[in-house]
Amino acid sequence: MTQPILDAAATPAASTPDPAITALPFDRALADLQAVVTRLESGGLPLEESIALYERGVALHEHCASLLAGAELRVQRLVDAAGGSLRTVDLRPDDDEA
Amino acid sequence: MPDRDDSGAWLPFDEFLASGAADQGRGPARPPASRGQPGREPSVPRDAASRDASPRDPAPGGDAAPRAAGVTTPAGREPARAPGPRILLVGELTRVIRDVMREAPRLRDLWVEGEVGQVSISSAGHCYFTLKDDKAQLRCMIFRDDRLSIPFEPRTGLRLVAHGRLDVFEPQGVYQLYVDAIQPAGFGDLALRFEALKAKLTAEGLFDAGRKRPLPAWPHTIGVATSLTGAVLQDIRQVFARRWPLVRVVVSSCQVQGQGAPESVVAALRRLARWTDPQTGRGTDVVILARGGGSLEDLWAFNEEIVVRAVAAHPCPIVVGVGHETDVTLAEFAADVRAATPSVAAELAVPARAEQQARLRVLVGRLDDAGRRAVAGPRTTLDAERRALDAFRPAAYLAAERERVGLLLDRATRAIDGRLIAERSRLTRLDDRLPLLVEGRLARARTELRTGAAGLGALSPYATLGRGYAIVRDDAGRVVRSVTAAVAGDALHVTLHEGALDVRVEAVRDSAS
Repeated sequence: MTQPILDAAATPAASTPDPAITALPFDRALADLQAVVTRLESGGLPLEESIALYERGVALHEHCASLLAGAELRVQRLVDAAGGSLRTVDLRPDDDEA
Repeated sequence: MPDRDDSGAWLPFDEFLASGAADQGRGPARPPASRGQPGREPSVPRDAASRDASPRDPAPGGDAAPRAAGVTTPAGREPARAPGPRILLVGELTRVIRDVMREAPRLRDLWVEGEVGQVSISSAGHCYFTLKDDKAQLRCMIFRDDRLSIPFEPRTGLRLVAHGRLDVFEPQGVYQLYVDAIQPAGFGDLALRFEALKAKLTAEGLFDAGRKRPLPAWPHTIGVATSLTGAVLQDIRQVFARRWPLVRVVVSSCQVQGQGAPESVVAALRRLARWTDPQTGRGTDVVILARGGGSLEDLWAFNEEIVVRAVAAHPCPIVVGVGHETDVTLAEFAADVRAATPSVAAELAVPARAEQQARLRVLVGRLDDAGRRAVAGPRTTLDAERRALDAFRPAAYLAAERERVGLLLDRATRAIDGRLIAERSRLTRLDDRLPLLVEGRLARARTELRTGAAGLGALSPYATLGRGYAIVRDDAGRVVRSVTAAVAGDALHVTLHEGALDVRVEAVRDSAS
C-alpha cells in the first residue's frame, strides 16, 4: 500500500457539517447537488478538485436526505391582531376540531 | 294549527258582518258574537290596510279598472235590509271571500313551490303564470316592478319557490298569488344561475386557460382557506405531513356554506393575500381553497360571483379542491389548478417526498460513479508514467512520482471509503437497498486500488536496488541526481539493497573529466 504520509487533507464532511450547506432549503441543496454531480461527471478536473467536489456532493446529499427524513409539518392559523394586522398561532391537530 | 287559522280567518268576516255599513241588518248571516277575538285584531287590519293601499293593478291582462270600482259599485247598490236569509250578490260574496283570504295569516306571507306552467307577459309588463304540481294549479302574477328586481323570469318547466300573498281578483272571481320574490328550487334553477354567471364570467375571460399560473415547484409556505371544523383541514394536514412536511402551512379559516359563506371565503382569501411572514417578508407561495362534499346547495358559495372573482384575482397561484362527484363549481373554473378533492389539492401543491428520495438516490449513485472515475483517471496516468519511467529507470524520480500520486490516491481512497461507509450506514438506517450496490462498488474500488498499489510495489525503486543500484541522498534527504549537487566534504547517504552507507565526498569529478 501507499505510505500514509502527509494526511492533513480530507477530513470527512460528515464530522464537520458545513453551515452554508445545512442552511440551504431543500430545493437549493438539491440544485447544488445536481450541479456538483454534473460537474464531476464532465470530468477533466484535477484530482484534488474532484475530491473536494465529491465531498461537497456528499454533504449536500446528506442535508437533503435529512430534510426529507426529519422535517416536521408546521401548521399555523392566521388570526386578526390589533390594528388590522395578522399574526400566526400554531394549530395542532387537536385544534382542528375546535 | 288549522283551528286557530280558521277562527282567525273568520274573525274579519264576523267584524265585517257586524260593522260593515252595507251589510247591516243581515242578522241571520251573523255568526255568534262569542266567536269574536278582539285581541287578535289589531295586527290584521293594519296589514290588510297596507296591502289595500298598494296601487298595483292585479288584473290579468294588467289593464283592468281598479278593483275598488268593481267592488264598490255592487256594494253601493246594496239595498238589502230585509231580515232573514238573503241572497248574496256575486260581488258581495267575492268581497267576503277576498277579505277572508286577505286576513288569513297563512295566506298573507307564504312560499310555495311548484313547476311553472303557462307564462305570459301582459302589455303592461306584468307576468302571469301558473305553478303546478301533480295535484293542483295555482295562478300567479308578478307586477312589472317586482319583475325587475327578481333575478330571473319564470319559464315553463322550471321548478321554483315563489313568495307572495294570496288575493282574490274580484272581476274574474279568481284567487292568485301575487309574487314578490322567487328563489330557485332544486337543481334546475341553481343550474340556471350557474350557467348565467358562467357565461358572464367566461365572456370576461375569467376562466381563460391563458390566465392559469403554474404552481411553484418548491413551495415554502402554503395558505389554506377552509373551515376549521370538519375533516377537510385534517385531510390536508395529513397529506402534507406524509408527502412534504418541509412546507409551512398557514390556515385562514372561513365558513364554507350557508348564509354569509361567500363573504367569509372572500375575507379568508384576502387575509392570506395580505399576510407576510414578519421575519422573511415572504407571503404564501400557493393557496388552497377547499371544502368537503355536499349538495349543490351546500356548494353554492363556490358559485357566488364574489368568490369566483376573489379566486381569479388572488395574487398567488390557487388550487381549489371541492369534494364532490359531478358538479364543478365556478370557483374551480377560476382557479389556477382544479382538484377533485381537498386531499388532491394538497397533493398537487407540494412535491412528493418519495419521488425526491428516489431522485436523491439516483444522484448519489451518479456522484459515487463520478467520484470513482475521478480517481481512476489519475491512476491510469500513473500507470503510463510508471511504464515510461521504468524504461529509463530513473528510480528516484519514479519514487517521487509514486509518492505524489500515492498521496492523492490515498486521500481519494479515504474520502470515498469514508463517505461510502457513512452513506451505507445512513441508507441502511433507511432500510434501503442501495447499500448493497454501494458496498459492491466500494469493494471493487478497494480491490482495484490494492491491485494498483501492489503493482507499484513490485516495480518500486527499492526493488531495483537489489539489482545493484543505489539511491544517494544528501543530509536533507534530497535525492542527489547530479555531481553538481555535492562538493567535497559533503556527507551523503547511500541506500543499497539491504541497508545504507553514510559516506563523505572526497572529490567531485564530472563524467567529462
